[in-house]
Amino acid sequence: MSDNEILLEVKDLHTSFFTQAGEVKAVNGVSFYLRRGEILGIAGESGSGKSVTMLSVLKLLGRSGKITSGEIIFKGRDLTKLNKREIEDIRGKSISMIFQDPMTSLNPVLSVGYQLREALRRHKIEGDHKKLSIDILERVGVVPAETRLKQYPHEFSGGQRQRIMIAMAMICKPDLLIADEPTTALDVTVQAQILDLMKELQRNFSTSIILITHDLGVIAGSCDRVMIMYGGHSIEQGTRQDIFYKTAHPYTTGLLKSVPDPDNINNARLIPIEGQPPDLINPPKGCPFALRCPDVMRVCVENLPPEKFLSDTHKASCWLLHKNGGDKN
Amino acid sequence: MNVLEINNLKKYFETSAGVVHSVDGVSFNISKGETLGLVGESGCGKTTTGRTIIKLYEPTGGQIIFNGVDITGMTQKEMLPVRKKMQMIFQDPYASLNPRMTIGDIVIEPMIIHKIPKEQHRDRMINLLRRVGLNSEHANRYPHEFSGGQRQRVGIARALAVEPEFIICDEPISALDVSIQAQVVNMLEDLQKDLGLTYLFIAHDLSMVRHISSRVAVMYLGEIVELAESSELYKNPKHPYTRSLLSSIPIPDPDKSDERKIIPLSGEIPSPLNPPKGCKFSTRCPIFKSDCKNIKPVLKNIGNEHFCACPFV
Repeated sequence: MSDNEILLEVKDLHTSFFTQAGEVKAVNGVSFYLRRGEILGIAGESGSGKSVTMLSVLKLLGRSGKITSGEIIFKGRDLTKLNKREIEDIRGKSISMIFQDPMTSLNPVLSVGYQLREALRRHKIEGDHKKLSIDILERVGVVPAETRLKQYPHEFSGGQRQRIMIAMAMICKPDLLIADEPTTALDVTVQAQILDLMKELQRNFSTSIILITHDLGVIAGSCDRVMIMYGGHSIEQGTRQDIFYKTAHPYTTGLLKSVPDPDNINNARLIPIEGQPPDLINPPKGCPFALRCPDVMRVCVENLPPEKFLSDTHKASCWLLHKNGGDKN
Repeated sequence: MNVLEINNLKKYFETSAGVVHSVDGVSFNISKGETLGLVGESGCGKTTTGRTIIKLYEPTGGQIIFNGVDITGMTQKEMLPVRKKMQMIFQDPYASLNPRMTIGDIVIEPMIIHKIPKEQHRDRMINLLRRVGLNSEHANRYPHEFSGGQRQRVGIARALAVEPEFIICDEPISALDVSIQAQVVNMLEDLQKDLGLTYLFIAHDLSMVRHISSRVAVMYLGEIVELAESSELYKNPKHPYTRSLLSSIPIPDPDKSDERKIIPLSGEIPSPLNPPKGCKFSTRCPIFKSDCKNIKPVLKNIGNEHFCACPFV
């Protein structure tokens, strides 16, 4: 396997939830790829579709959610075409996922050891399961592993629980780890430890990681490439240098400006993005960000901007980047 | 003039497992028009400090002086006129608004409690809603019709309804999206300027605290370990805990993020049921000396109104 091998490619994904209030178009034509051994950050605010995009990959959409179109190619297979049994064979083995709240993700009445071994049993992994679970617990720094295995989730702190979640996710040595806001519930000092651990595991197991977060600081510190989402669309993608230093989309610019500048001692006023995120039941016809955009033009309200490549690694969807975008007024 | 003075404030909780030392001898003061930031990690006692000041919890020891009056021993009934001057904004804008009351009624409720003449209620409520960026049409709607940022605006309008002088903001922006956080912080700053408010701003988002606060106090296990003017503290942190905490803040800039060095903290925060003897940070301190287990460090002025509770810096 080469380093540049594409592990996951999502093409024009559309995911909707069918509710009493109507169809909620949570993901509206998202395309991206992930190389082996890479860390991709997905950033965006609540309701931007970042979590639903990744839940779609594992088909964890519940009864009301459905992938309405698009392809999810993982190691050459289209995951959208797999049946329940086939996708279960992938979950926890080739692709695993960790969530924001480690307390609700662990079963309080089962010992940590039992829960660690669950994935090994389900996927009929050969070898000494006890030894494998001790190894992985030591890897994530929950020691002494042998005693810790017999304990229950309430006996651990938040940071340790997240380490256990990571151990459960990594025990089958997956190709892809999806981490959905893994450090949001944790304190900054613990967050730094957990992010460090994830980077170390990624290097040692050559696992690819997709890190969903709303914290641009976490993205800047941990990710190779970044996708920014807004209103169910991917609005900008690039390397972290592209996103932070060659910012192309006004929403990304707004996000970067709305956090306090660490070098700014004289406490200049923050520059917020005015307005509220769009309604996904009646999504706007044109650009999802048009209503809050400081640079909005008539074309933005009427037509969805197509993706424009700014370099081999950097693309964004904004009419400002199109030569004739402004002329259509 | 000091709006608030806290001397050696203590709040212990008796539980079946033992006594939890949530707030263990905290002292600070806040002068009029100032914002004091109170930061620290979960379980350090920052929220309990806020709640004890407004006497949602009965203090175990120490003194709370508000506008020159000792309110420590006041009964709930005696507290009523004090609470008119001292209000609170809560973290969770979903849980802190009654889902069965309209926005208008939520904002009017404190006016009823504090016996403001009825004929003023509606006008005041509409003015408050406008003040926080909502409008009169919103008055008849219910909390579920609003986004998180809008709900937090309602919470702020409610706190302002009785014209307080001092507001305890307990993690007011933690539940909000980044793009909305800046809206709310700007609004809090405008209100402070226009109405001469004084804030105690409790949060764990260290970069926002730096932005909004004039001075910042850092708490660890129920005690203040360092207190200084905001830019001084962030530029020149002295206490080993503060240094480690500040070094862990994610920086939204890839190059700076790669350059900086995180000072990792080993181990876990000790249980407040049985806090370490001597310096409470001694079990995790990178510059630990054997004396630290025996000597209780006190908050000392090390120049420039910079206070630090570590004798080895």
